[in-house]
Amino acid sequence: MRWLPAFVSALCATGTLAAKKSTEQRFTEFHTKSLASSPVKLLDASYRELTSAPRDYTAAILLTALDARFGCQLCREFQPEWDLLSKSWVKGDKSGDSRLILATLDFSDGRDIFMSLGLQTAPVLFLFPPTIGPHAAASPEPIRYDFVNGPQSAEQVHAWLSRHLPDRPHPPVKRPINWIKWIFTTTMLAGSLTAAVVAWPYVLPIIQNRNVWAAISLISILLFTSGHMFNRIRGVPYVSGDGRGGITYFASGFQNQFGMETQIVAAMYGVLSFAAIALTVKVPRIADAKAQGVAVLAWGGAMFLMYSFLLSIFRVKNGGYPFSLPPFM
Amino acid sequence: MSADTLEVLASAGKGQSTRTVLRFIILSLIAGAAIASRLFSVIRFESIIHEFDPWFNFRATKYLVANGFYNFWDWFDDRTWHPLGRVTGGTLYPGLMVTSGVIYHALRALTIPVDIRNICVLLAPAFSGLTAFAAYLLTNEMAPSPSAGLLAAIFMGIAPGYISRSVAGSYDNEAIAIFLLVFTFFLWIRALKQGSMLWGALCALFYGYMVASWGGYAFITCLLPLHAFVLICMGRYSTRLYVAYTTWYALGTLASMQIPFVGFLPVKTSEHMPALAGIFGFLQLLAFLDYVRSAIPSRQFQTFLWLFAGGTFGLGLAALVIATSAGFIAPWSGRFYSLWDTGYAKIHIPIIASVSEHQPTAWPAFFFDLNMLIWLFPAGVYLCFQQLADEHVFIVVYALFGSYFAGVMVRLMLTLTPVVCVAAAISASSLLDTYLNVKSPNPEEHQADDSADGSAKKAAKAGLKSTSKPVVGVYGWLSKGSVAGAMTVYLILFVLHCTWVTSNAYSSPSVVLASRMPDGSQHIIDDYREAYQWLRQNTREDAKIMSWWDYGYQIGGMADRPTLVDNNTWNNTHIATVGKAMSSREEVSYPIMRQHEVDYVLVVFGGLLGYSGDDINKFLWMVRIAEGIWPDEVKEREFFTPRGEYRVDGEATETMKNSLMYKMSYYNYNSLFPPGQAQDRVRGSRLPEVGPSLSTIEEAFTSENWIIRIYKVKDLDNFGRDHASAAAFDRGLKKKKVNKKKGPRQLRVD
Repeated sequence: MRWLPAFVSALCATGTLAAKKSTEQRFTEFHTKSLASSPVKLLDASYRELTSAPRDYTAAILLTALDARFGCQLCREFQPEWDLLSKSWVKGDKSGDSRLILATLDFSDGRDIFMSLGLQTAPVLFLFPPTIGPHAAASPEPIRYDFVNGPQSAEQVHAWLSRHLPDRPHPPVKRPINWIKWIFTTTMLAGSLTAAVVAWPYVLPIIQNRNVWAAISLISILLFTSGHMFNRIRGVPYVSGDGRGGITYFASGFQNQFGMETQIVAAMYGVLSFAAIALTVKVPRIADAKAQGVAVLAWGGAMFLMYSFLLSIFRVKNGGYPFSLPPFM
Repeated sequence: MSADTLEVLASAGKGQSTRTVLRFIILSLIAGAAIASRLFSVIRFESIIHEFDPWFNFRATKYLVANGFYNFWDWFDDRTWHPLGRVTGGTLYPGLMVTSGVIYHALRALTIPVDIRNICVLLAPAFSGLTAFAAYLLTNEMAPSPSAGLLAAIFMGIAPGYISRSVAGSYDNEAIAIFLLVFTFFLWIRALKQGSMLWGALCALFYGYMVASWGGYAFITCLLPLHAFVLICMGRYSTRLYVAYTTWYALGTLASMQIPFVGFLPVKTSEHMPALAGIFGFLQLLAFLDYVRSAIPSRQFQTFLWLFAGGTFGLGLAALVIATSAGFIAPWSGRFYSLWDTGYAKIHIPIIASVSEHQPTAWPAFFFDLNMLIWLFPAGVYLCFQQLADEHVFIVVYALFGSYFAGVMVRLMLTLTPVVCVAAAISASSLLDTYLNVKSPNPEEHQADDSADGSAKKAAKAGLKSTSKPVVGVYGWLSKGSVAGAMTVYLILFVLHCTWVTSNAYSSPSVVLASRMPDGSQHIIDDYREAYQWLRQNTREDAKIMSWWDYGYQIGGMADRPTLVDNNTWNNTHIATVGKAMSSREEVSYPIMRQHEVDYVLVVFGGLLGYSGDDINKFLWMVRIAEGIWPDEVKEREFFTPRGEYRVDGEATETMKNSLMYKMSYYNYNSLFPPGQAQDRVRGSRLPEVGPSLSTIEEAFTSENWIIRIYKVKDLDNFGRDHASAAAFDRGLKKKKVNKKKGPRQLRVD
């Protein structure tokens, strides 16, 4: 009686065939559609048809909300990547050997589907594994791709798809050559070269000017030592609210800072350095005794006040710091 | 008292020999201060090796001393990275161990009996004294005033940025590497200034020593060519540069290739390419052209030659790119590359991003480590622009790159500190020299010359704008006194700051923790050593210990037991395996542990004491690293609640609660508290009433303050049951029987 279950299932299959199109038919239908334009744009009904239970193909469906009304930034950022991925996939797999259908369902076309899936956010990428056939998965439930790390590139999604489709061809993502960008770059390059040649006699004295280089060096040193790279890498906010409607310029904690804060600190360092430079280099060159006395007091005073202020700021950042100078005790 | 004695006293410090003696005494005192300020931890705790990496260095040194140099060179260590082992002799920088070994044997030869541990503990302070001296020499090459060198020496000696890696007991590569760095730079400047092959060869020798000691040698390998390149761009090519650079490069590269760990890297990897193909090749070309130019006077021919040089340079660059893409030259190594593309490490190499000292630096860290030097530093760089000789260009280039790197990675504050000390010393000394000059100018004299000063102005036009006028000097005692007084206050504040920072932040061994009792007395928390001692005394000698990689070196050094992974993170997959075992359910972890023959699992838990550096806080990195290898089995997302929070209390996700790490950390923790009151003091959350239960491992040891918890991995069950049901049986739960459906009872009536 071994053949009995097989027979029964075959009977069932014929039974469903009568009601619906067969899985093979559906695949060919959607595959032809995707050859015409990929990804396939779905509606309520076609979504149900594509994902209905006995299927021997895989369906990757992006549920998205492109309409400007929904203000889904991530959806719009991901859409070109998704289009690119599905186009290059279909192009590399015209015969449908990978048995993968890539499709998109927009919120405005499939409100009911979104409701029934209980989706609160978009975009969501579902991968419906085959339920019958050689690649059938144990569970018919779709696998969900998370967009937790912001917008994903086509390559990342491609790697994820490939991982879930073993033993099948994975046509690689082919980015079209961006001609505009190439032409633009070439033109700009040629233009700037010409400009450089023309302007050379005027630029040369600037390049050879020691003051310019000194200024560049000092500014970059001040930037780096005031934690600019931390802002770049961590993407810290510029300022932050204090919870009472005001603004805090200084982040609490030793390992933390705001963008504005580093600028203030860089300015303080700058003032201190400049005071030191002025006292060393400029003041001894003032020939008038009275003017020199005033300059010494001004620069020396500025240095003292600024250092005192810097120490007081540092005490804010590091609670247990014991040292201070008047007047900012 | 006769007039003669007064005369002698007044003239003291003026003669050349007196000055030398004074300078020697001052330098000795500075070295003494540098050493003394690093001894806080020895006085407060004991002579003990600190932290993590030093424990490996210490273990390797002991091996070297016990087995001799050749055995050390061929050392294969089968007690780490079980079951892979590590070719330790070929994968470490041997400079540090060999240095201690030489000192040990030298002292032995002098019949001074000293323990190798004390040499290791005190090596870093001893070398800091030498670093101060090297900073003195380097600064003397830059500044005309000898006081700048002395200031640089004291800055270098006590700057917290350097102390952070060189307190007593911090037996790490950096301990000797910073001395070698500064000294190599000094020798390079000397060689460049004199165009001397001898100094160039010495520079190469110390460069070789540096390569043998620290992976940071790449900083020198990149900085010297860059300096040469900038000099060439400024049109300062000279035979001095040619001699110094080629001598250093040829001998230095040969020396560096003697280290097995470095081997052929200097000719194969991208980070060494600027030194080789870039500047070394370019200098040969320039030398050739220079020779041709001196032989042929034709103007057009020279233009042609320059074009030829440019073309060759371009072709060479293209060849380099092609060789790289064809795979002959390895591209930038990830660790190095992440310095430029700062987002790279986070995506591709989480293991690098996970280390706290690889994080970017916030501004308070700069001020904390350098205090007033941080604002004297730009002033010093500006003063370098005033003279801008070849050696000043070096300071400018070093300052720019050093500050960039220090901004990207906290750890590289160490390479920035020397240049900050040198530049700040130049600035401070010229400020003090100006205002401490007893002689005041005569006002009338200068007012007169001011008008007839056209010639001086023209002469100074090439320099900075601010130096176009002649130096007059400072009038008046008030000006001198106020500036000198303020400067003294700043310097005293600097010394106080350095002492305070060293004593409070950088002198903790981290193996032993200190806390204050309510009455103010010190209480030592010694859980680490307690646990390692337990392992040493209660487990078999070859019992394998699984823990997160941070503790690998300590287990190897203190408990002397084989480990699966350690701080030499050479095999990411193996680390990910441990991460997976920690972050999966018991049923998944158990086979992994069996396959790796794990006998004990060690976790660090700070919940009771409020010790924040524990494993639950590092847990996400374990998950991330494991996810990098098994993206389908370990998912970071599942350790966060739907609202995106990382929680350990009742609201924690199921994956979190079932992970081995969570269970091991909180197992039996409830029993310390009244029911329902269990609290985690690090994360400040209340734990669920029912704690986790364990079936495949059992608690073996928990230290006094619960910081270290050790679990024994159970053997297979005697009756062949799986562990979960065996544990359930032991707890007295009945095996659930499948109830067969029976019909309702009926009274049988016959």
